[in-house]
Amino acid sequence: MASTKSTSPAQSRLWDLAPYPVILADEAGTVAELNDAAGHLLKGAAPGANLLDVAPAWLAQAHQEAILRTRLAAQGTRKPPVLASVSGRIAAYSFEAHPTVTQDGSVVWWLIDDTDRRLAEEALATERERTTFLAEASNVLLASLNTDRCMATTAQLAAEYLADVAIVITPVSNGKLPVARAVAGQEADRALVVADPSDLPGLGEALQGFPPVPSRWIDPAALPAWVIPQGFGSTIGSVVVTPLPGHGVPAGALILLRGTERAQFNENEEVFARLFAARAGAALSAARLYSEQSAITQTLMRDLLPPSLQRVEGVEIAGGYRPAGEAERVGGDFYDVHPGSSGQDPSLVILGDVCGKGLEAAVLTGKIRNTLQALLPMADDHQRMLRLLNGALLTSHHTRFATLVLASVRRSENEVRLRLTSAGHPYPLVVRRDGSVEEVHTHGSLIGVLPAIEAHSAETVLRPGDTCLLYTDGFTEARGGPLGDELFGEERLRQALSGCADMPAGAVVDRIQMLASQWLRDGPHDDMALLAISAPHTNHLSAVDGTTRGRYTA
Amino acid sequence: MTPPPSSFTFTVEVSRSTAHLHLAGDLDYDTGDTLVQEADRCLTDHPHLRELRLDCAHLCFCDSVGISSLLTIHRRTTARTVRLRLENSPPFLQRLLDVTGIQQLFAQPQTSQQAE
Repeated sequence: MASTKSTSPAQSRLWDLAPYPVILADEAGTVAELNDAAGHLLKGAAPGANLLDVAPAWLAQAHQEAILRTRLAAQGTRKPPVLASVSGRIAAYSFEAHPTVTQDGSVVWWLIDDTDRRLAEEALATERERTTFLAEASNVLLASLNTDRCMATTAQLAAEYLADVAIVITPVSNGKLPVARAVAGQEADRALVVADPSDLPGLGEALQGFPPVPSRWIDPAALPAWVIPQGFGSTIGSVVVTPLPGHGVPAGALILLRGTERAQFNENEEVFARLFAARAGAALSAARLYSEQSAITQTLMRDLLPPSLQRVEGVEIAGGYRPAGEAERVGGDFYDVHPGSSGQDPSLVILGDVCGKGLEAAVLTGKIRNTLQALLPMADDHQRMLRLLNGALLTSHHTRFATLVLASVRRSENEVRLRLTSAGHPYPLVVRRDGSVEEVHTHGSLIGVLPAIEAHSAETVLRPGDTCLLYTDGFTEARGGPLGDELFGEERLRQALSGCADMPAGAVVDRIQMLASQWLRDGPHDDMALLAISAPHTNHLSAVDGTTRGRYTA
Repeated sequence: MTPPPSSFTFTVEVSRSTAHLHLAGDLDYDTGDTLVQEADRCLTDHPHLRELRLDCAHLCFCDSVGISSLLTIHRRTTARTVRLRLENSPPFLQRLLDVTGIQQLFAQPQTSQQAE
């Protein structure tokens, strides 16, 4: 059989039985033989026709290459080459073509239909891509708790992967629709639109959380103008409107648009858009809950946050506050500075600590600060102030108490005179200019629990370079250090303060806070507040008497 | 008995008219309520109780919430005319009671003064 130039009838009948299309073509590309299957597949293919005319280009070209390689191998008297198979499309199907060279130099092409395998592979790849996309989308969306950023990210992701244009709409607020619009590959823009959601079929329903309307029901021509972002030039061919489900209440709606040049959304894609919308809705809902809570906290905080301080009546006062949790910016520690009503009157400085932390403590803190402010007319009489405050806070409901220090601060010449009264609070510390640290022994009972309290004041004088430090137990009870479980303690605080001799009040606060932060590293801690009062260096007297210059600066 | 460094445990002994609570560990924000509940249970389960003693020998730490829970227990015991005593207070607790001016509420019995 190998010697015959043409194939025998027996052979050709065998080919007819083959389940695959088979074509034999000679060196010139002329079809010599083909079986029925090949005849059905390639229209016009018959012995004598040229492959260039009847076969797809990829097959005709592969044939020419196969002939060429066979010839080159024959000239070099090498073994016939192993020819690589090729693949391509014939009509709606995909085929692999495997070549074999006959002894006379013709090539037989065995065609195998792999359309189904290709489809399965493509479906698998698409599915994998979608899963990756959904996982990534969740990560990106949950990374931000800012509602605006979350809307913009949702629109951008959807425009990039699901459509040409994506619009995120959240429920009406103050009569306006907040929208984020994105064109694929561009930054999203944000706007507040005055529009009726029912202008667009399905949008009103989606914003109320009803299931989406099938894409084919929505006429792209009916789109209101505000939906389409400015950067998008082409005509809209298809529209999907899907709800963004939130926690209990709908978080908004997602509109996807495709230009006329792209295929319309199919059912599969609409389902996928809903999967994405579920994730985006959860993220958006979390962001909104968070921003609502943070708005409440901020409203409360405006009155509860400690004031920013500066020089008061010629005395340097600096304060620092670090609440227990970064999320809770208010807590149980507080300080206030009330300047005297005239230059002669002492200023009243208050630092205190309410037992507990978080919002509950913050509310009691607010109450104490307000009460003390109302009692300012009697600021000279610390005992009376504390008794009245104690009476105002007594309740049978709980034993939540406060400890605090009152300090009447008066500038006298270049010195600062302090009268301090502690109500159950850690002793104030004074660092002298030479680095020695003293406790100020004022003593009293805590406030808010006992029916009767007592309090004893103490006085001290600060000269230039001296600083008095009021602090809360958040510092001494800060757990950290090399092993992470040791208390910062009073002794370490005294040492730290000793290193702050002759520093301005602001620098003392910064340094103590820094040392405490180093001690804590990232560990949890209670509220920490501190306040430094210093007698500033001054050449006030030198202006009066030129000969004494240098007396305070040496 | 060595208490674990950062937890709170206690054991209860009740004999006739006196209840002993042996505290160990950290009395703080997270554990204050537990102690108050336990003291409450002692008071309700033993109506004839005349004295409640808190043995603080193994207490490692006490913060303001810890102090608050001691004050709560003091209120409850006072309401039932039960005497509340802190025994074997470690130096840190003594200092804390001193600074907050509430030492007189928890009269120290003879034993702890001898121990000093």
